[in-house]
Amino acid sequence: MSGRSGVWAVCRFEAAKLLAQWPTRILPLVCILGPLAFGAVLRIQSAVPQDTLFGGWVHTSGYAIPLVILSFAGAWVFPVIAGIGGGDMFAAEDRLGTWKTLLTRSSRRSEIFAGKVATACAYVVGMVALLGAASILAGVLATGTQPLVGLSGQMIGSGRALELTAASWGVSLLPALGFAALALLISAVTRSSAAGMLGPLVVALVFQLLSLVGSGDVVRALLLSSALDAWHGMFVAPAFDRPILWAAVVSLASALVFLAPAWLSLRNRDIAGTAPDERRWRRQIRVVVVATAAVALLAVASNWGPTGITEARLERSIVRSFRNLTVLQQRYLGRRVTAGAGSQMRILPSCLRQGVSTPRKGPGDDWLCTLDVFTASLAQVTVDYDVTVKANGCYTAEGPPAFIGPLTIRDRHGRPHVNPLFRFDGCFEAGP
Amino acid sequence: MDRRTTRSAPPAGRYRWPAIGVTLDSASPASSAPALSASGLCKRFGTVAAIAGVDLQVDAGEVRGLLGPNGAGKTTLLRMLLGLVRPDEGRIELFGQLFGPGVAPGSRRVVGFVEEPRFYPYLSARRTLELLGELDGAGGKRRVGELLGLVGLTKAAGQRVGSYSTGMRQRLGIAASLLASPRALLLDEPTSGLDPAGAREMRGVVRRLADEGVAVLLSSHDMDEVADVCDSVTILASGRVVWHGTIERLRAEAPAPEHRLETSDDAKARELGSASTALEVREDARGGLVVTAERDALDAFVLALAAEGVAVRRLDEIVSSFESMFLTLIEGAAG
Repeated sequence: MSGRSGVWAVCRFEAAKLLAQWPTRILPLVCILGPLAFGAVLRIQSAVPQDTLFGGWVHTSGYAIPLVILSFAGAWVFPVIAGIGGGDMFAAEDRLGTWKTLLTRSSRRSEIFAGKVATACAYVVGMVALLGAASILAGVLATGTQPLVGLSGQMIGSGRALELTAASWGVSLLPALGFAALALLISAVTRSSAAGMLGPLVVALVFQLLSLVGSGDVVRALLLSSALDAWHGMFVAPAFDRPILWAAVVSLASALVFLAPAWLSLRNRDIAGTAPDERRWRRQIRVVVVATAAVALLAVASNWGPTGITEARLERSIVRSFRNLTVLQQRYLGRRVTAGAGSQMRILPSCLRQGVSTPRKGPGDDWLCTLDVFTASLAQVTVDYDVTVKANGCYTAEGPPAFIGPLTIRDRHGRPHVNPLFRFDGCFEAGP
Repeated sequence: MDRRTTRSAPPAGRYRWPAIGVTLDSASPASSAPALSASGLCKRFGTVAAIAGVDLQVDAGEVRGLLGPNGAGKTTLLRMLLGLVRPDEGRIELFGQLFGPGVAPGSRRVVGFVEEPRFYPYLSARRTLELLGELDGAGGKRRVGELLGLVGLTKAAGQRVGSYSTGMRQRLGIAASLLASPRALLLDEPTSGLDPAGAREMRGVVRRLADEGVAVLLSSHDMDEVADVCDSVTILASGRVVWHGTIERLRAEAPAPEHRLETSDDAKARELGSASTALEVREDARGGLVVTAERDALDAFVLALAAEGVAVRRLDEIVSSFESMFLTLIEGAAG
C-alpha cells in the first residue's frame, strides 16, 4: 500500500508547510508591492538614486528602474529571500521537534533532504521572479518603455532593453540559488531558525566587505556576491558574457560546497531528543569559530592574484562611453548630430591613479581620467573626470560642470534631461 | 498460557479491520521471520552507554511491552528501531529484511512515535494527516476522516495543532501512526496525557490491531496497562534486558502483591496472619499493616478476620505483583 513516496511527495509536503507560515506568505506581497511603491516614489519626486548603476536614468527609461532594484536586491534582498525560503527549512524541524514525525514516514533521509532543497530553491526562484516581474512593471508604470542608455552610453531600443532587463533578472537567479544553498547549510548545521534566516544576510555583508578590501581577483571571483554583477556585461557595447558563465560556475560550485556538508549533517545525525543547552551552545560556537576563521582566511587572501582593473581597460571603456554620451547630450540640446558624429570625434584618454604606488591598476576612487577631445564642431578640449572604479569593473565618472554643463539640461522644448556627461556609469570586463 | 495462542491467526490476503475500516495487507512478506528483530544493539552517547547489547523480537500479532525505569534506554531503543538513532553495533531486521541507513521505516510500514508526538503547530489536524498521508504514498490520505473519528478528533479536525492539548496531540499521533496501515507499531507511552476513557479506547485499538496481525512494541510506565494489553514483556535497566517473557510467565514469577490493611484490632490481625504460611503481615511505619499475599490467601485472611470479630476498615493494593517483580529486577540490575 504505502510505498516509498519519493522526492516529489516531500516537495509537496514542504511546499504546503512553507505556504502555511506567515513569513513565507507575506514575502510574495512584499516582492510585488515593494517595487511598485519604489516606482511610485520615483514618479512623484525628481531626485534620482545616482549611486546605483542606471540610477541616473530612472526618469529617462522605465527599464532603468528594475535594474536599479536588481543592483540593490542582489546584494541585500536575495539573501533575505534565501533566508526566509531556506533558513528555516531544517532548523524548524529541530525547533518544533518534528524530525521524528518526518523521518519515521515512508521517505528516506536522502529524499527528505532533496525535497527540502528543491522546495527552498523553488520558493527562492519564485520570489526572485516575482520581484523581477513587479520591478519591470513598476518601471513601465512609473516612467514608460523608452529606450535605455546602456553602460557604454549607447542607446538600447525598448524591446531589446526589456529582453536584457528580464535576462538580467534571470542571470541573477544563479547566485540567488547559491544563497538559498547557504541558508540551507546554516539551517542544517546550526539547527537555529534565527541563524538560518539571518545568516545569509550577514554572509552577504561579509562578501561585500571582502570584495571591497582586496584588490586581487582570485577571492573576488570566487565570491557568490561577484556573481550578482554578471549581468552588467549585457548592457555594455560590445557585450561580454564570460562573467555570466563564470557566475553559473561559481553559483553551482557554491551550492555544492554548501549543500554537501548540509547533507552529511542530516545523514549522520541521531535524532535523539532535545540536546542540552550546553551542547547546543557548543555547536553554535563551533559554527561561529569556523565561519570567522573562513572569513579571516578570505580577507587575508583577498589581495591574491592579479587585478582586472587596468589603465588600458578603463581608458577603452570611458572613451566609448564619453563618445556615445556626447552624441546623446548634443541631441538633447537640439543640435544636429549626424549618424557618424560619434566616430568622427577623436578622443585621447589618459587614466592614472593619484597618490598610489600602482598608478596604472587596481580599484579605487582615486582615478583621474583626462580626455583630449577633437571634433569637427569643437576645438580641441581637455576634460578631466574623477573616476571611482570598483573591483567588479564598474565605474562612476564625474566631470567638471564648466565644460560639460549642469546636472540637468533642457532640450529645445524646455523639457529637463539628466546631463549624460555630468556623471556617468560604465562597466568593463574585469576578469583576469 | 500465552494469550496469543488463544486468538485465531488472521486470514491470509487482504482484509479489512471492521471496527475502523483500516485496510491491512498481510500478503507480503509471508515468511516466518519475526516482524521486528534486533540483536546485539549498542548505542553510546559520549561516555554513557544508553543501550548495551539488547536483543529483542516482536512477532506479527504480538503486543510486547517495553518496561524500565527512566534512563533505562526504552526511548533510545525505540528511536533505533524507527531509524532515528543509528546503532553503534548490532543488527535490526524488519520482516526479515535488514534495516539501516537509507531505509525509511514507513516504507516497511513500521511506524510509531517516541516521547510526545510532535506536529506543525500552524497546520490543522486534518491537513497534517492529509500531508502525512501523501508522504506515505497512495491510500493514507483517503482514511483521514475515519482515523480522525477513531481517535475522537473529528470536531477539532480544523483547529491548528498548536492549540491542541497534550492528550489531543497524543490522539493525533496515534491517528498519524495508523495512517500508514502499519504492520508494526512502535509506541512510546501512547496513553500518556489521555483521560481514562481515552486510554481505555487506545488500549482497545492496540489490541484490535494486534488481533489483525500487527506487531506492536509498546513502551509504558503503567504496569496495569502492560498487563492489560501486552502478550509479552521486555524489561530494560541501564540499557540491558533484565527480563523478557510472556505476561503469564511474569505473573507466575512475580512475587505476591502488597496490600495496606487497616482493621479494628491490628494486633489480633497480626496474630492471625502469623499463623498462615500463605501470607506475610507486618506493621506499616505509617500505621496499619502491610499484607503480602496472593488473592486467594488474602480472601481467606479477610474471612478469618471477620470470623474473629476484627473489622476491616481499609484494604488497598499498594504494590502489585508486576510492580513488585519490576522493582526487584531493577534493584537487582542496579545492585
